[in-house]
Amino acid sequence: MTVVIEAEKLTKYYGKARGIIDVSFQVNEGELFGFIGPNGAGKSTTIRLFLGLIYPTSGKARIFGQDAIRNGPQLRQDIGYLPSEVFYYEGMKVIDLLKYSASFYKKDCTKRIYELADYMELELNRRIEDLSYGNKKKVGIVQGLLHSPRLLFLDEPTSGLDPLMQRKFFDLIRRENAQGVTVFFSSHILSEVQRLCNRVGIIREGRIVEIADIRTLQQNNYKKIRVYADGVEPNAFQLPGVTNIEKANNSIHFFYKGDINLIMRKLSEFNLMDITIEEPTLEEIFMHYYE
Amino acid sequence: MNIVLRELRAYFKSLLIWSTIIILFIVVGVSKFSAFANNPEMLAILDAYPPAVLDALNLRAFNLTTITGFFGVMHVYYTLLAGVAAAMWGSDIIAKEERDKTVDFILTLPITRQRLITAKTVAAIINCAVLVLLIWVASRLAAAPYNPDAEFYRFLALQMQSIFILMLIFLAIGIFLGCALRRYKRVTAIAVALLLSTFFMSSLSDMDERLDFLKYVSPFKYVDAGMLYREGRIEGIYWVLTLLLILVSMTAAYVTYTRRDIYA
Repeated sequence: MTVVIEAEKLTKYYGKARGIIDVSFQVNEGELFGFIGPNGAGKSTTIRLFLGLIYPTSGKARIFGQDAIRNGPQLRQDIGYLPSEVFYYEGMKVIDLLKYSASFYKKDCTKRIYELADYMELELNRRIEDLSYGNKKKVGIVQGLLHSPRLLFLDEPTSGLDPLMQRKFFDLIRRENAQGVTVFFSSHILSEVQRLCNRVGIIREGRIVEIADIRTLQQNNYKKIRVYADGVEPNAFQLPGVTNIEKANNSIHFFYKGDINLIMRKLSEFNLMDITIEEPTLEEIFMHYYE
Repeated sequence: MNIVLRELRAYFKSLLIWSTIIILFIVVGVSKFSAFANNPEMLAILDAYPPAVLDALNLRAFNLTTITGFFGVMHVYYTLLAGVAAAMWGSDIIAKEERDKTVDFILTLPITRQRLITAKTVAAIINCAVLVLLIWVASRLAAAPYNPDAEFYRFLALQMQSIFILMLIFLAIGIFLGCALRRYKRVTAIAVALLLSTFFMSSLSDMDERLDFLKYVSPFKYVDAGMLYREGRIEGIYWVLTLLLILVSMTAAYVTYTRRDIYA
Protein backbone atom coordinates (compact mmCIF):
# COMPACT_ATOMS: atom_id res chain seq x y z
CA MET A 1 0.00 0.00 0.00
CA THR A 2 1.33 3.39 -0.95
CA VAL A 3 0.90 6.07 1.65
CA VAL A 4 -0.56 9.19 0.03
CA ILE A 5 -1.08 11.50 2.99
CA GLU A 6 1.08 11.36 6.05
CA ALA A 7 1.01 13.56 9.12
CA GLU A 8 3.77 13.07 11.65
CA LYS A 9 3.35 14.86 14.96
CA LEU A 10 1.94 17.76 13.01
CA THR A 11 1.49 20.76 15.28
CA LYS A 12 0.23 24.26 14.58
CA TYR A 13 -0.11 27.13 16.98
CA TYR A 14 -1.52 30.48 15.95
CA GLY A 15 0.57 32.57 18.26
CA LYS A 16 -0.46 31.05 21.56
CA ALA A 17 -3.79 29.78 20.30
CA ARG A 18 -4.04 26.08 19.67
CA GLY A 19 -4.50 24.90 16.11
CA ILE A 20 -3.62 21.22 16.16
CA ILE A 21 -1.26 19.30 18.42
CA ASP A 22 0.76 16.18 17.58
CA VAL A 23 -1.55 15.05 14.82
CA SER A 24 -0.30 11.83 13.24
CA PHE A 25 -2.08 9.67 10.71
CA GLN A 26 -1.65 8.03 7.33
CA VAL A 27 -4.01 7.73 4.42
CA ASN A 28 -3.30 5.06 1.84
CA GLU A 29 -3.75 5.27 -1.87
CA GLY A 30 -7.35 4.76 -2.94
CA GLU A 31 -8.78 5.31 0.54
CA LEU A 32 -11.81 7.39 1.39
CA PHE A 33 -10.68 8.83 4.68
CA GLY A 34 -13.16 10.68 6.85
CA PHE A 35 -11.94 13.38 9.20
CA ILE A 36 -14.54 14.28 11.75
CA GLY A 37 -14.74 16.67 14.62
CA PRO A 38 -16.77 19.61 15.84
CA ASN A 39 -16.24 23.17 14.67
CA GLY A 40 -12.88 24.54 15.76
CA ALA A 41 -11.38 21.10 16.37
CA GLY A 42 -8.65 21.67 13.80
CA LYS A 43 -10.03 20.05 10.64
CA SER A 44 -9.47 23.03 8.37
CA THR A 45 -6.13 23.76 10.00
CA THR A 46 -4.97 20.26 9.08
CA ILE A 47 -6.13 20.61 5.48
CA ARG A 48 -4.63 24.10 5.10
CA LEU A 49 -1.31 22.75 6.37
CA PHE A 50 -1.32 20.03 3.72
CA LEU A 51 -2.16 22.60 1.05
CA GLY A 52 0.70 24.86 2.10
CA LEU A 53 -1.55 27.79 2.94
CA ILE A 54 -0.21 27.80 6.49
CA TYR A 55 3.03 26.43 7.84
CA PRO A 56 3.40 23.94 10.69
CA THR A 57 4.90 24.98 14.00
CA SER A 58 6.49 21.53 14.16
CA GLY A 59 6.05 18.09 12.71
CA LYS A 60 5.92 16.82 9.16
CA ALA A 61 3.27 16.82 6.47
CA ARG A 62 3.92 14.57 3.48
CA ILE A 63 1.96 13.98 0.33
CA PHE A 64 2.93 11.22 -2.13
CA GLY A 65 5.97 10.78 0.09
CA GLN A 66 7.19 14.34 -0.41
CA ASP A 67 7.28 17.31 1.91
CA ALA A 68 3.93 19.05 1.47
CA ILE A 69 5.38 22.49 2.17
CA ARG A 70 8.63 22.39 0.23
CA ASN A 71 7.27 20.57 -2.80
CA GLY A 72 3.76 22.00 -2.51
CA PRO A 73 3.57 23.75 -5.87
CA GLN A 74 4.54 20.62 -7.87
CA LEU A 75 2.44 18.35 -5.64
CA ARG A 76 -0.63 20.49 -6.21
CA GLN A 77 -0.62 19.48 -9.89
CA ASP A 78 -2.23 16.32 -8.56
CA ILE A 79 -4.29 17.73 -5.70
CA GLY A 80 -7.87 18.93 -5.83
CA TYR A 81 -9.35 21.07 -3.07
CA LEU A 82 -12.94 21.91 -2.29
CA PRO A 83 -13.40 24.34 0.60
CA SER A 84 -16.59 24.64 2.61
CA GLU A 85 -17.21 28.08 1.17
CA VAL A 86 -15.97 29.02 -2.28
CA PHE A 87 -14.91 32.52 -3.31
CA TYR A 88 -14.08 33.54 -6.85
CA TYR A 89 -13.31 36.73 -8.73
CA GLU A 90 -16.24 38.96 -9.36
CA GLY A 91 -17.11 39.84 -12.90
CA MET A 92 -15.88 36.53 -14.27
CA LYS A 93 -18.01 34.04 -16.09
CA VAL A 94 -18.04 30.48 -14.80
CA ILE A 95 -16.34 29.14 -17.92
CA ASP A 96 -13.65 31.84 -17.80
CA LEU A 97 -12.88 31.02 -14.18
CA LEU A 98 -12.68 27.31 -14.95
CA LYS A 99 -10.44 27.90 -17.95
CA TYR A 100 -8.28 30.22 -15.85
CA SER A 101 -7.97 27.52 -13.23
CA ALA A 102 -7.24 24.88 -15.90
CA SER A 103 -4.47 27.03 -17.41
CA PHE A 104 -2.28 26.30 -14.38
CA TYR A 105 -2.20 22.54 -14.96
CA LYS A 106 0.07 20.75 -17.35
CA LYS A 107 -2.73 19.03 -19.19
CA ASP A 108 -5.72 19.85 -21.31
CA CYS A 109 -8.77 19.92 -19.06
CA THR A 110 -11.33 21.27 -21.52
CA LYS A 111 -13.21 18.04 -22.12
CA ARG A 112 -13.42 17.28 -18.44
CA ILE A 113 -14.70 20.76 -17.60
CA TYR A 114 -17.67 20.22 -19.89
CA GLU A 115 -18.28 16.68 -18.62
CA LEU A 116 -18.23 17.75 -14.98
CA ALA A 117 -20.33 20.86 -15.58
CA ASP A 118 -22.85 18.76 -17.46
CA TYR A 119 -22.98 16.20 -14.68
CA MET A 120 -23.36 18.82 -11.92
CA GLU A 121 -25.89 20.78 -14.02
CA LEU A 122 -23.77 23.89 -13.92
CA GLU A 123 -24.45 26.73 -16.33
CA LEU A 124 -21.13 27.84 -17.73
CA ASN A 125 -22.07 31.17 -19.19
CA ARG A 126 -23.37 32.85 -16.08
CA ARG A 127 -21.45 35.38 -14.06
CA ILE A 128 -20.16 33.97 -10.80
CA GLU A 129 -21.45 36.83 -8.68
CA ASP A 130 -25.00 36.12 -9.92
CA LEU A 131 -24.90 32.52 -8.76
CA SER A 132 -26.63 31.22 -5.65
CA TYR A 133 -24.59 29.72 -2.85
CA GLY A 134 -25.30 26.20 -4.03
CA ASN A 135 -24.39 26.98 -7.61
CA LYS A 136 -21.13 28.59 -6.52
CA LYS A 137 -20.44 25.37 -4.71
CA LYS A 138 -20.91 23.49 -7.97
CA VAL A 139 -18.31 25.74 -9.58
CA GLY A 140 -16.02 24.76 -6.71
CA ILE A 141 -16.65 21.07 -7.32
CA VAL A 142 -15.87 21.34 -11.03
CA GLN A 143 -12.85 23.52 -10.32
CA GLY A 144 -11.51 21.08 -7.73
CA LEU A 145 -11.84 18.10 -10.07
CA LEU A 146 -11.15 19.47 -13.54
CA HIS A 147 -7.48 18.51 -13.58
CA SER A 148 -8.22 14.88 -12.64
CA PRO A 149 -6.33 15.05 -9.34
CA ARG A 150 -5.03 11.88 -7.72
CA LEU A 151 -5.79 13.27 -4.29
CA LEU A 152 -8.82 15.23 -3.14
CA PHE A 153 -9.19 17.37 -0.04
CA LEU A 154 -12.84 18.03 0.73
CA ASP A 155 -13.46 20.45 3.60
CA GLU A 156 -17.09 20.20 4.67
CA PRO A 157 -18.02 20.01 1.02
CA THR A 158 -21.74 19.43 1.12
CA SER A 159 -22.92 22.64 2.75
CA GLY A 160 -25.22 24.53 0.40
CA LEU A 161 -26.02 21.55 -1.79
CA ASP A 162 -29.57 20.25 -1.84
CA PRO A 163 -30.04 16.52 -1.05
CA LEU A 164 -30.30 15.60 -4.72
CA MET A 165 -27.07 17.39 -5.55
CA GLN A 166 -25.42 15.93 -2.46
CA ARG A 167 -26.19 12.48 -3.74
CA LYS A 168 -24.83 13.31 -7.18
CA PHE A 169 -21.76 14.74 -5.55
CA PHE A 170 -21.23 11.61 -3.45
CA ASP A 171 -21.68 9.44 -6.52
CA LEU A 172 -19.09 11.56 -8.29
CA ILE A 173 -16.64 11.20 -5.41
CA ARG A 174 -17.24 7.43 -5.30
CA ARG A 175 -16.66 7.22 -9.04
CA GLU A 176 -13.39 9.14 -8.72
CA ASN A 177 -12.41 6.93 -5.82
CA ALA A 178 -13.15 3.80 -7.82
CA GLN A 179 -10.60 5.03 -10.33
CA GLY A 180 -7.97 5.21 -7.64
CA VAL A 181 -8.34 8.76 -6.36
CA THR A 182 -7.55 9.13 -2.67
CA VAL A 183 -10.07 11.24 -0.78
CA PHE A 184 -9.63 13.16 2.47
CA PHE A 185 -13.10 14.12 3.58
CA SER A 186 -13.53 16.48 6.50
CA SER A 187 -16.94 16.96 8.02
CA HIS A 188 -18.86 17.42 11.20
CA ILE A 189 -21.84 15.60 9.73
CA LEU A 190 -21.35 11.99 10.66
CA SER A 191 -24.02 10.43 8.54
CA GLU A 192 -22.33 11.59 5.37
CA VAL A 193 -18.96 10.32 6.53
CA GLN A 194 -20.65 7.05 7.39
CA ARG A 195 -22.13 6.90 3.90
CA LEU A 196 -18.90 7.60 2.09
CA CYS A 197 -15.79 6.68 4.01
CA ASN A 198 -14.08 3.45 4.92
CA ARG A 199 -11.86 4.84 7.64
CA VAL A 200 -12.19 7.80 9.95
CA GLY A 201 -10.02 9.94 12.13
CA ILE A 202 -11.72 11.75 14.96
CA ILE A 203 -10.23 15.04 16.03
CA ARG A 204 -11.13 16.95 19.14
CA GLU A 205 -9.59 20.12 20.52
CA GLY A 206 -6.68 19.80 18.12
CA ARG A 207 -5.78 16.22 18.94
CA ILE A 208 -6.58 12.95 17.21
CA VAL A 209 -8.62 10.87 19.63
CA GLU A 210 -9.24 7.84 17.42
CA ILE A 211 -8.41 6.49 14.02
CA ALA A 212 -10.32 3.41 13.00
CA ASP A 213 -12.24 1.57 10.35
CA ILE A 214 -15.81 2.72 10.33
CA ARG A 215 -16.92 -0.87 10.73
CA THR A 216 -14.51 -1.56 13.54
CA LEU A 217 -15.67 1.57 15.24
CA GLN A 218 -19.27 0.53 14.95
CA GLN A 219 -19.27 -3.23 15.30
CA ASN A 220 -16.31 -4.52 17.18
CA ASN A 221 -15.69 -1.87 19.69
CA TYR A 222 -18.86 -0.55 21.16
CA LYS A 223 -22.16 -2.02 22.16
CA LYS A 224 -25.07 0.04 23.22
CA ILE A 225 -26.70 -1.92 26.02
CA ARG A 226 -30.05 -1.19 27.58
CA VAL A 227 -31.37 -3.26 30.46
CA TYR A 228 -34.79 -3.19 32.07
CA ALA A 229 -34.78 -4.32 35.65
CA ASP A 230 -36.33 -3.32 38.94
CA GLY A 231 -34.18 -2.08 41.77
CA VAL A 232 -30.90 -2.09 39.89
CA GLU A 233 -28.62 0.85 40.55
CA PRO A 234 -26.50 2.24 37.69
CA ASN A 235 -23.42 1.78 39.87
CA ALA A 236 -23.81 -1.96 39.60
CA PHE A 237 -22.46 -1.77 36.07
CA GLN A 238 -19.27 0.07 36.93
CA LEU A 239 -16.91 -2.18 35.03
CA PRO A 240 -13.82 -1.42 33.02
CA GLY A 241 -15.07 -0.63 29.50
CA VAL A 242 -18.44 0.70 30.56
CA THR A 243 -19.11 4.34 29.83
CA ASN A 244 -21.95 6.81 29.64
CA ILE A 245 -24.17 5.09 32.19
CA GLU A 246 -27.58 6.67 32.25
CA LYS A 247 -30.74 5.80 34.08
CA ALA A 248 -34.16 6.49 32.65
CA ASN A 249 -37.33 5.31 34.45
CA ASN A 250 -36.81 1.59 34.92
CA SER A 251 -34.08 1.18 32.36
CA ILE A 252 -30.35 1.71 32.42
CA HIS A 253 -28.27 2.16 29.31
CA PHE A 254 -24.59 2.41 28.70
CA PHE A 255 -21.82 1.80 26.17
CA TYR A 256 -19.56 -1.17 26.53
CA LYS A 257 -16.19 -1.73 24.94
CA GLY A 258 -14.28 -4.89 25.68
CA ASP A 259 -14.69 -8.64 26.05
CA ILE A 260 -18.36 -9.35 25.53
CA ASN A 261 -18.26 -12.37 27.88
CA LEU A 262 -17.33 -10.25 30.86
CA ILE A 263 -20.36 -8.03 30.47
CA MET A 264 -22.64 -11.03 29.84
CA ARG A 265 -21.49 -12.63 33.11
CA LYS A 266 -22.16 -9.39 34.91
CA LEU A 267 -25.60 -9.05 33.37
CA SER A 268 -26.51 -12.57 34.41
CA GLU A 269 -26.19 -11.55 38.06
CA PHE A 270 -29.39 -9.57 37.78
CA ASN A 271 -32.95 -10.51 37.31
CA LEU A 272 -33.68 -8.68 34.07
CA MET A 273 -37.04 -7.98 32.51
CA ASP A 274 -35.61 -7.19 29.13
CA ILE A 275 -32.39 -6.32 27.37
CA THR A 276 -31.34 -4.85 24.06
CA ILE A 277 -27.80 -4.84 22.69
CA GLU A 278 -27.29 -2.60 19.70
CA GLU A 279 -24.57 -1.21 17.48
CA PRO A 280 -24.29 2.43 18.33
CA THR A 281 -24.67 4.92 15.51
CA LEU A 282 -21.59 6.86 14.59
CA GLU A 283 -23.32 9.85 16.08
CA GLU A 284 -23.33 8.22 19.48
CA ILE A 285 -19.74 7.13 19.22
CA PHE A 286 -18.86 10.61 18.23
CA MET A 287 -20.68 12.19 21.18
CA HIS A 288 -18.90 9.73 23.39
CA TYR A 289 -15.54 11.14 22.26
CA TYR A 290 -16.61 14.65 22.93
CA GLU A 291 -17.60 14.22 26.50
CA MET B 1 1.39 34.74 -18.16
CA ASN B 2 -2.19 33.77 -17.32
CA ILE B 3 -2.00 35.68 -14.05
CA VAL B 4 -0.57 38.76 -15.78
CA LEU B 5 -3.40 38.83 -18.33
CA ARG B 6 -5.99 38.22 -15.65
CA GLU B 7 -4.64 41.12 -13.56
CA LEU B 8 -4.42 43.45 -16.55
CA ARG B 9 -8.07 42.74 -17.24
CA ALA B 10 -8.99 43.23 -13.59
CA TYR B 11 -7.25 46.63 -13.44
CA PHE B 12 -8.29 47.88 -16.85
CA LYS B 13 -11.12 49.96 -15.44
CA SER B 14 -8.89 51.47 -12.77
CA LEU B 15 -6.29 52.31 -15.42
CA LEU B 16 -8.95 53.97 -17.51
CA ILE B 17 -10.15 56.09 -14.58
CA TRP B 18 -6.64 57.18 -13.59
CA SER B 19 -5.73 58.01 -17.19
CA THR B 20 -8.85 60.12 -17.54
CA ILE B 21 -8.15 62.00 -14.30
CA ILE B 22 -4.54 62.79 -15.16
CA ILE B 23 -5.22 63.65 -18.81
CA LEU B 24 -8.02 65.99 -17.71
CA PHE B 25 -5.61 67.54 -15.25
CA ILE B 26 -3.08 68.12 -18.03
CA VAL B 27 -5.63 69.57 -20.44
CA VAL B 28 -7.10 71.90 -17.82
CA GLY B 29 -3.61 72.86 -16.62
CA VAL B 30 -2.35 73.75 -20.06
CA SER B 31 -5.49 75.73 -20.80
CA LYS B 32 -4.66 77.83 -17.72
CA PHE B 33 -1.19 78.30 -19.13
CA SER B 34 -2.64 80.50 -21.87
CA ALA B 35 -2.88 83.24 -19.21
CA PHE B 36 0.85 82.94 -18.37
CA ALA B 37 2.20 82.43 -21.87
CA ASN B 38 4.68 85.21 -22.70
CA ASN B 39 3.15 87.43 -20.04
CA PRO B 40 5.88 89.34 -18.09
CA GLU B 41 3.32 90.80 -15.67
CA MET B 42 2.85 87.32 -14.21
CA LEU B 43 6.50 87.23 -13.27
CA ALA B 44 6.19 90.54 -11.44
CA ILE B 45 3.28 89.19 -9.41
CA LEU B 46 5.23 86.05 -8.51
CA ASP B 47 8.22 88.12 -7.40
CA ALA B 48 6.08 89.49 -4.60
CA TYR B 49 5.75 85.98 -3.05
CA PRO B 50 8.04 84.98 -0.17
CA PRO B 51 11.04 82.96 -1.45
CA ALA B 52 10.17 79.92 0.69
CA VAL B 53 6.79 79.64 -1.00
CA LEU B 54 8.35 80.03 -4.42
CA ASP B 55 10.83 77.31 -3.59
CA ALA B 56 8.16 74.98 -2.28
CA LEU B 57 6.20 75.40 -5.49
CA ASN B 58 9.35 75.16 -7.57
CA LEU B 59 8.61 78.60 -9.03
CA ARG B 60 12.15 79.93 -8.75
CA ALA B 61 13.60 77.17 -10.84
CA PHE B 62 11.26 77.78 -13.72
CA ASN B 63 10.04 80.60 -15.88
CA LEU B 64 6.31 80.12 -15.73
CA THR B 65 5.72 82.09 -18.90
CA THR B 66 7.36 79.43 -21.10
CA ILE B 67 5.74 76.07 -21.83
CA THR B 68 8.84 74.24 -20.56
CA GLY B 69 8.75 76.23 -17.34
CA PHE B 70 5.04 75.58 -16.95
CA PHE B 71 5.47 71.82 -17.26
CA GLY B 72 8.35 72.08 -14.82
CA VAL B 73 6.09 73.64 -12.21
CA MET B 74 3.26 71.22 -12.94
CA HIS B 75 5.54 68.18 -12.88
CA VAL B 76 5.20 67.57 -9.16
CA TYR B 77 1.41 67.36 -9.40
CA TYR B 78 1.46 64.83 -12.25
CA THR B 79 4.01 62.89 -10.27
CA LEU B 80 1.82 63.01 -7.18
CA LEU B 81 -1.24 61.73 -9.02
CA ALA B 82 0.69 59.01 -10.83
CA GLY B 83 2.35 58.08 -7.54
CA VAL B 84 -1.01 57.69 -5.80
CA ALA B 85 -2.18 55.44 -8.63
CA ALA B 86 0.93 53.28 -8.30
CA ALA B 87 0.71 53.08 -4.50
CA MET B 88 -2.93 52.03 -4.73
CA TRP B 89 -2.28 49.40 -7.38
CA GLY B 90 0.71 48.03 -5.55
CA SER B 91 -0.99 47.77 -2.19
CA ASP B 92 -4.17 46.34 -3.68
CA ILE B 93 -2.87 43.77 -6.11
CA ILE B 94 -1.71 41.25 -3.50
CA ALA B 95 -3.94 42.21 -0.58
CA LYS B 96 -7.17 41.99 -2.58
CA GLU B 97 -6.85 38.21 -2.81
CA GLU B 98 -7.16 38.00 0.95
CA ARG B 99 -9.77 40.74 1.13
CA ASP B 100 -11.96 38.97 -1.44
CA LYS B 101 -11.07 35.57 0.02
CA THR B 102 -9.91 34.37 -3.38
CA VAL B 103 -6.47 33.67 -1.97
CA ASP B 104 -7.42 30.06 -1.16
CA PHE B 105 -8.28 29.54 -4.79
CA ILE B 106 -5.15 31.04 -6.27
CA LEU B 107 -2.68 29.58 -3.77
CA THR B 108 -4.03 26.04 -3.91
CA LEU B 109 -3.24 26.01 -7.62
CA PRO B 110 0.13 24.51 -8.51
CA ILE B 111 2.02 27.80 -8.31
CA THR B 112 4.55 29.21 -5.89
CA ARG B 113 3.82 32.37 -3.96
CA GLN B 114 6.90 33.91 -5.59
CA ARG B 115 5.38 33.36 -9.00
CA LEU B 116 2.17 35.03 -7.85
CA ILE B 117 4.04 38.13 -6.66
CA THR B 118 6.18 38.25 -9.80
CA ALA B 119 3.21 37.97 -12.17
CA LYS B 120 1.23 40.58 -10.27
CA THR B 121 4.21 42.92 -10.16
CA VAL B 122 4.68 42.57 -13.92
CA ALA B 123 0.99 43.38 -14.49
CA ALA B 124 1.22 46.44 -12.23
CA ILE B 125 4.40 47.66 -13.97
CA ILE B 126 2.68 47.35 -17.33
CA ASN B 127 -0.20 49.43 -15.98
CA CYS B 128 2.24 52.09 -14.74
CA ALA B 129 4.02 52.15 -18.11
CA VAL B 130 0.75 52.53 -19.99
CA LEU B 131 -0.29 55.38 -17.69
CA VAL B 132 3.03 57.17 -18.22
CA LEU B 133 2.80 56.72 -22.00
CA LEU B 134 -0.70 58.20 -21.97
CA ILE B 135 0.51 61.14 -19.88
CA TRP B 136 3.33 61.63 -22.36
CA VAL B 137 1.07 61.60 -25.40
CA ALA B 138 -1.47 63.89 -23.70
CA SER B 139 1.27 66.34 -22.66
CA ARG B 140 2.69 66.51 -26.18
CA LEU B 141 -0.71 67.08 -27.67
CA ALA B 142 -1.66 69.70 -25.08
CA ALA B 143 1.63 71.58 -25.52
CA ALA B 144 1.66 71.43 -29.31
CA PRO B 145 -0.30 74.68 -29.86
CA TYR B 146 2.52 76.63 -28.12
CA ASN B 147 5.11 75.45 -30.66
CA PRO B 148 7.52 73.96 -28.13
CA ASP B 149 11.20 73.71 -29.05
CA ALA B 150 13.33 70.58 -29.01
CA GLU B 151 14.44 71.38 -25.48
CA PHE B 152 10.83 71.05 -24.30
CA TYR B 153 10.51 67.56 -25.75
CA ARG B 154 13.81 66.50 -24.22
CA PHE B 155 12.71 67.83 -20.84
CA LEU B 156 9.29 66.19 -21.19
CA ALA B 157 10.90 62.82 -21.93
CA LEU B 158 13.03 63.19 -18.81
CA GLN B 159 9.95 64.09 -16.78
CA MET B 160 8.14 60.98 -17.99
CA GLN B 161 11.13 58.84 -17.10
CA SER B 162 11.10 60.33 -13.62
CA ILE B 163 7.35 59.84 -13.17
CA PHE B 164 7.80 56.19 -14.12
CA ILE B 165 10.63 55.81 -11.62
CA LEU B 166 8.60 57.37 -8.83
CA MET B 167 5.69 55.10 -9.68
CA LEU B 168 7.96 52.07 -9.46
CA ILE B 169 9.16 53.17 -6.01
CA PHE B 170 5.65 53.49 -4.63
CA LEU B 171 4.50 50.38 -6.46
CA ALA B 172 7.24 48.41 -4.71
CA ILE B 173 6.43 49.94 -1.32
CA GLY B 174 2.72 49.22 -1.88
CA ILE B 175 3.42 45.62 -2.87
CA PHE B 176 5.56 45.17 0.22
CA LEU B 177 2.79 46.53 2.46
CA GLY B 178 0.23 44.30 0.71
CA CYS B 179 2.45 41.27 1.26
CA ALA B 180 3.48 42.01 4.80
CA LEU B 181 0.41 43.39 6.52
CA ARG B 182 -2.30 41.07 7.71
CA ARG B 183 -4.72 44.00 8.05
CA TYR B 184 -5.45 44.01 4.36
CA LYS B 185 -8.38 46.39 4.70
CA ARG B 186 -6.07 49.24 5.62
CA VAL B 187 -3.15 48.49 3.37
CA THR B 188 -4.13 50.98 0.66
CA ALA B 189 -4.85 53.72 3.18
CA ILE B 190 -1.44 53.17 4.77
CA ALA B 191 0.32 53.19 1.40
CA VAL B 192 -1.33 56.44 0.31
CA ALA B 193 -0.72 58.07 3.70
CA LEU B 194 2.95 57.17 3.39
CA LEU B 195 3.07 58.67 -0.07
CA LEU B 196 1.40 61.91 1.01
CA SER B 197 3.68 62.32 4.01
CA THR B 198 6.77 61.95 1.82
CA PHE B 199 5.22 64.44 -0.56
CA PHE B 200 4.95 67.02 2.22
CA MET B 201 8.44 66.18 3.33
CA SER B 202 9.71 67.12 -0.10
CA SER B 203 8.01 70.53 0.16
CA LEU B 204 9.36 71.04 3.68
CA SER B 205 12.89 70.22 2.63
CA ASP B 206 12.77 73.23 0.27
CA MET B 207 11.44 75.64 2.86
CA ASP B 208 14.04 75.32 5.56
CA GLU B 209 17.71 74.45 5.20
CA ARG B 210 17.68 72.50 8.45
CA LEU B 211 15.20 70.14 6.82
CA ASP B 212 17.40 69.69 3.77
CA PHE B 213 18.17 66.05 4.73
CA LEU B 214 14.55 65.18 3.95
CA LYS B 215 15.44 65.23 0.28
CA TYR B 216 16.99 61.81 0.79
CA VAL B 217 13.89 60.52 2.58
CA SER B 218 11.29 61.68 0.09
CA PRO B 219 11.20 59.95 -3.29
CA PHE B 220 9.55 63.07 -4.68
CA LYS B 221 12.89 64.80 -4.25
CA TYR B 222 14.63 62.08 -6.26
CA VAL B 223 12.73 63.27 -9.30
CA ASP B 224 12.53 66.99 -8.47
CA ALA B 225 11.72 68.98 -11.61
CA GLY B 226 14.19 71.74 -10.73
CA MET B 227 17.01 69.24 -10.54
CA LEU B 228 15.91 67.54 -13.76
CA TYR B 229 15.94 70.90 -15.53
CA ARG B 230 19.26 72.06 -14.11
CA GLU B 231 21.14 68.78 -14.47
CA GLY B 232 19.32 67.29 -17.42
CA ARG B 233 19.29 63.97 -15.57
CA ILE B 234 18.51 62.31 -12.28
CA GLU B 235 21.50 62.70 -9.95
CA GLY B 236 23.52 59.59 -9.16
CA ILE B 237 22.71 59.51 -5.46
CA TYR B 238 19.01 59.44 -6.23
CA TRP B 239 19.45 56.58 -8.69
CA VAL B 240 21.15 54.66 -5.91
CA LEU B 241 18.41 55.50 -3.41
CA THR B 242 15.71 54.57 -5.92
CA LEU B 243 17.24 51.20 -6.70
CA LEU B 244 17.82 50.58 -3.01
CA LEU B 245 14.22 51.37 -2.07
CA ILE B 246 12.80 49.16 -4.81
CA LEU B 247 15.20 46.33 -4.09
CA VAL B 248 14.60 46.39 -0.34
CA SER B 249 10.81 46.65 -0.71
CA MET B 250 10.54 43.84 -3.22
CA THR B 251 12.90 41.55 -1.34
CA ALA B 252 10.95 42.16 1.85
CA ALA B 253 7.72 41.52 -0.06
CA TYR B 254 8.92 38.14 -1.35
CA VAL B 255 10.37 37.10 1.99
CA THR B 256 7.37 38.05 4.13
CA TYR B 257 4.75 36.71 1.75
CA THR B 258 6.39 33.33 1.23
CA ARG B 259 6.92 32.85 4.95
CA ARG B 260 3.63 33.89 6.40
CA ASP B 261 0.39 32.01 6.98
CA ILE B 262 -2.51 32.76 4.67
CA TYR B 263 -6.00 33.09 6.09
CA ALA B 264 -9.13 33.81 4.19
